[in-house]
Amino acid sequence: MLNDYLLTVISNIGMISLLAISAYILLITGEISFGQQAYFGISAYSGAIATTLWGWPFWVSLLFGSLLAGIAAGLVSALTVRISGLYFSISTLAFSEMVRLFLLKFSYQKEIDGELLGPNGAEGFGGIRWIFDNNISVFQYTLLIYLILFLVIICLFFIERSGLGMIFRMIGQDPMLTRVHGINPVNYKVFAAVLAGFIAGLGGMLYAHSFTFIEPQIFNVMLGVHSLAYGLIGGLGTVFGPLIGVALDIGLLESIRVIHGYRMIVFGGLVAIMLILMPRGILDEKRVYRLRLALRNWLHV
Amino acid sequence: MKPLLNVSSLKVNYGGVYAVKKISIKVYEGQIVSITGANGAGKSSTLNALTGIYAPSSGEIVFRGENIAGFHAHRIVKRRLVQVPEGRHLFPNLTVRENLFTGNHCLGRFFLGKFIPENILNIFPMLRDRLDTSASSLSGGQAQMLALARGLMAQPLLLLLDEPTLGLDPIMVKEVLNLLSILRKQGLTILVVEQNVRQTLEISDYAYVLESGRMVMEGRGTELLNDSMLVKSYIGFGKS
Repeated sequence: MLNDYLLTVISNIGMISLLAISAYILLITGEISFGQQAYFGISAYSGAIATTLWGWPFWVSLLFGSLLAGIAAGLVSALTVRISGLYFSISTLAFSEMVRLFLLKFSYQKEIDGELLGPNGAEGFGGIRWIFDNNISVFQYTLLIYLILFLVIICLFFIERSGLGMIFRMIGQDPMLTRVHGINPVNYKVFAAVLAGFIAGLGGMLYAHSFTFIEPQIFNVMLGVHSLAYGLIGGLGTVFGPLIGVALDIGLLESIRVIHGYRMIVFGGLVAIMLILMPRGILDEKRVYRLRLALRNWLHV
Repeated sequence: MKPLLNVSSLKVNYGGVYAVKKISIKVYEGQIVSITGANGAGKSSTLNALTGIYAPSSGEIVFRGENIAGFHAHRIVKRRLVQVPEGRHLFPNLTVRENLFTGNHCLGRFFLGKFIPENILNIFPMLRDRLDTSASSLSGGQAQMLALARGLMAQPLLLLLDEPTLGLDPIMVKEVLNLLSILRKQGLTILVVEQNVRQTLEISDYAYVLESGRMVMEGRGTELLNDSMLVKSYIGFGKS
C-alpha cells in the first residue's frame, strides 16, 4: 500500500498539474501569464469558504470556486486582451499580487461548532475539514483529484484536436495572420483565459481541501513561475507536456530528499537548459506530430 | 457595369509619413488586376489597407457597394475579400491539412470547419500527398501553393495576392502565374501585387504602376508592356 508521504506527492502532482495546464492554455495562445496562481487562490479560498462556512456540498463548492476563478480570469483578460507580450505578462503579475495582498487583509470568520473558522488575513484559513468530516482517506482524495485531472485532460485533448484548439494555436503563432483568416483573436483569447482560470480554480479548490490549511503566501509569484515553467519544460505540443514538467519537478526534484534542498537550483538550471536546447519543451509540436504519425503507422501495421 | 472593388483617394500613413498618397483603383468581376512598382512604392501598404491590416488615413474602399475602409481584418475577410499575405505566411507548427482548415473560418463559425473541398485538391494535386506533413517542411514553391489553396478555401469573391512569386525559381514563378490565369478563367477575380512586372502584366487585364506611393501609370496589361517608359524603368532594356 502506498504510504501517506508518497500519496501526498502524487496528489500534489495532480493538483499542480491543473495549474500547469492552465498556464499551458495561455502559452499556446501566445501569452505568458505570471498570474495563474491568483485564480488557484481565488478558488481555494472561495471553495473552502463554501464548504466550511456555508456548508455547501463539495461538488457545488468546487464548481462555485472554479467558476469564480474563471469569471475573474475572463474579466482580467477582457481588460488586458489588447495588450500582449511583456505588457500582458506584467499585468497578470500585478493582478496576482493584488489578489495576494487582498487575501492578506481579507477576514471573514464564523463560529462553527464553537470554533472560529474562516480566512483571517495573514494568519490564513485553517480547519477546512471536509475530507475528515466525510471520512475521506488520503487515497480516496487522491483518486478524486486524478478523476478530475483525467476529465480535464480528456476535454482538452478533444479541444486541441478540434477547430477551437487549432484557432488557439493560430493565435499563438501569428495573431495578425489569424485576423486575415477572419478570426478575431480577442474573443478567443478571453475564452482561453476563462477556460484557463476555471482549470486553475479546480486545482486551487482541491488543494485547499487536501492540505486543510491555506494562507495568502502559498499563492505567491513563485507558484505562477513554476506553473509556467512546467509547460516550457514538458512541451507546448500537447496537453500532456505540462504534466511531464510537473512530474519532473515535484515527482523527481522535490521527492528525492538528497537534492531536496537544492531543488530550486536544479529546477532553475533545468529551465535555462531547456529554453536553450528545446525552446518549446520536450513534447513540442514537431515531436508530437512525429509521435502521432508513428502511432498512426503502428496502428495501421 | 459597377466595379467589384472601387478604391478612391486612398491614403495610408505610418506615423506621419505617407506610404500611399491618394490612389484610386477599380477591379471588375472576373479580372486579374495588378499593382506593380519598385520596392517601397506602397504596393503592400495598399493591399494591407484594403484588407484591414492597416487602417487607411483617408479615402474610400467600396467592396460590393459597401464602404469597408477602416474595418478590422477579420470583418473584411468575412465579406470574402481574402488576402494571401506576402512571404507565404503559413502556420509552421500546423500540418498542411490543418493550414488548409484555417482558410475555412470566413464562413462565420466559432470553430474551424474540418473539411477540404475536392476541387481545391484538384487544383493543387501536389498538396494531396502532403496533407499530413508539417507545413514547415514544404519548399518555397509548395508553401506558396499551400498559401494560395488556403486563400481559396475561404471561397473568395476577390482574392488579393501580395508578391506571390517572391523568392521562387523561374519555373515556379511561371507555374504560379499560370495558375492565376486558370483561376481567372474559372471566374475568380484577382488583385495581385507584384514586382515581377513583365510576367504579371502579361496575365493582367488591367494594371496600375505605383511609385513612391503615387499612381504613375495605369492601363491594360498588354498596353503597358509596350510602354517604352515603363519597360525602361521597371523591366530593363530589351525584351526577352
